[in-house]
Amino acid sequence: MKVLIVDDEMPARQRLHRLVDELDDCEIVGEAANGNQAIELAQKHVPDVLLMDIRMPGISGIETARHLATLDRPPAVIFTTAYDEYAIAAFDTQAVGYLLKPVRRERLARALRHASRLTRSQLSALATDDTKAEARRTHLCARVRGHLELIPIETIYYFQADQKYTTVAHMEGEVLIDESLKNLEYEFSPDFVRIHRSALVSVAHLRAVERDADGKQFAVFRDCDARLVVSRRHAPALKRRLRGS
Amino acid sequence: MTITIVLLVELIAFVLTLARQPAVGFFWVDLAQSSLFLLWIGLGSAWVMCMARPLLARRGTVQVTLISLALLMLTTAAVSEAAWWAGQYYSDRSGGAGGGIFPSSHLPFVLRNVAISAVVSALILRYFYVSHQWKRNVQMEAVSRIQALQARIRPHFLFNSMNTIAALTRSDPDAAEQVVEDLADLFRASLAENKQLVHLREEFEMARLYERIERLRLGERLEVDWQVETLPHRALIPGLTVQPLLENAIYHGIEPLPDGGTVTINGRMEGKEIVIEVVNPVTRDSGARRHDGNKMALANVRQRLELAFHGKAALEINQDADQFFVRMRLPASEQMK
Repeated sequence: MKVLIVDDEMPARQRLHRLVDELDDCEIVGEAANGNQAIELAQKHVPDVLLMDIRMPGISGIETARHLATLDRPPAVIFTTAYDEYAIAAFDTQAVGYLLKPVRRERLARALRHASRLTRSQLSALATDDTKAEARRTHLCARVRGHLELIPIETIYYFQADQKYTTVAHMEGEVLIDESLKNLEYEFSPDFVRIHRSALVSVAHLRAVERDADGKQFAVFRDCDARLVVSRRHAPALKRRLRGS
Repeated sequence: MTITIVLLVELIAFVLTLARQPAVGFFWVDLAQSSLFLLWIGLGSAWVMCMARPLLARRGTVQVTLISLALLMLTTAAVSEAAWWAGQYYSDRSGGAGGGIFPSSHLPFVLRNVAISAVVSALILRYFYVSHQWKRNVQMEAVSRIQALQARIRPHFLFNSMNTIAALTRSDPDAAEQVVEDLADLFRASLAENKQLVHLREEFEMARLYERIERLRLGERLEVDWQVETLPHRALIPGLTVQPLLENAIYHGIEPLPDGGTVTINGRMEGKEIVIEVVNPVTRDSGARRHDGNKMALANVRQRLELAFHGKAALEINQDADQFFVRMRLPASEQMK
């Protein structure tokens, strides 16, 4: 069984490493110090199980697991935590695997034996439960040539919906994701506002609403050349929002 | 509740009957009559008070007391009136027989009852008030004790330290031993009395022990810049005031940063005041999820300062775009009065 260890604290990684080493038929394929590294290593080594800390700088363990769930062969995730009463309460109701630090050898062995895959629905239920801060992702996850790419939410200019996919325009370029504008709007409002049936834009990156000779209105951005059509229906709310912030 | 009322009513009936000194043999009859009458009043009053609940909610103690008293007296008056009229009716029908159990004089009967009702109601209201206060105090005391304990020993820190020890036991037994010693000192200090004063030097020592434990866990991500040389190290300060501020700064400021950062502890004299400032970097998204624990630790430090210096010390909190400041001001004194 291939195991990947994810924890931002070195002693914690060391100890888990040693405990897993002592178990039969378990092999450590890597150690990651944060969520970004974890996603990278998980794609490189395709582990069977992740032992992952919840409270990490940057992307939290729970969000990392949600991103990993989009992989073709998502690993099982067992969360490790020293003390996190809300998360533990949520895990108990969702029957998600977790271990309390310092981790006991027998519990680790049992958890690895029973490592069941965390399904996507379990994870999203977990994330939308009562841990509101976790429900909102800090990154979006897109597949680029079979590889997962993480896009920080604050670098995104706008989302534009096509028939099937949604285009994400961000500082580093554009990617396609498989999520509906409606859900994105629900998750990321009020930082993002609808300007059209097919477009959701970041208020922070928005510069102004311009009007052309025909009276058509466009949203223009600070550091992005796109000009997006603002529908008549969404214009008043957008202007209110621009004045307000 | 109903049983309590019935019991109370019976007790009052008993007292009244005793006080009236009925002829021997009539005692029980008298008691039964009084009970019947008083039960009407008692249960009627309970019903009136239940109905009046929406009226009484969200009013001050004085208002509630006055309204309740008025309602209870009105109920008594109403029941007395009804009893008198019932008596008249009954007497008329039975041609005077059995008139003995009903009052003969109308107004004095009602007035006497209302007066008794006023006294008894006031006593009962007072009793409810005191017992409610007592219950609330007990509850509040329990809650504040738990909060104080949690503010002193943050579970997150305790369990993480345990984990560090577990990791070091094999890889670096000497370091593990030191963590155990440091933890013991820290917990001994945190279990000390709230009011106990220590020298500034000792408090800084505690904060440094804490820093050493956290550094093992966080490695190079944690940097603490101590600028406290100019302070009088023999000045007295309540124990566990600087350390919790450092703990807060690390927990909320350093841990969420992937590359870590520096906590600055700056101490200086301003006139006769000692000013100690703890500054940590803030992350953009750390604001929302951190508030509760943060407030509790700061409230606890504030309380300690207040206990020791009675209004002469202050804790100020400031935040700008990328830093969080906590500034503690306290009088410099080497002896407490």
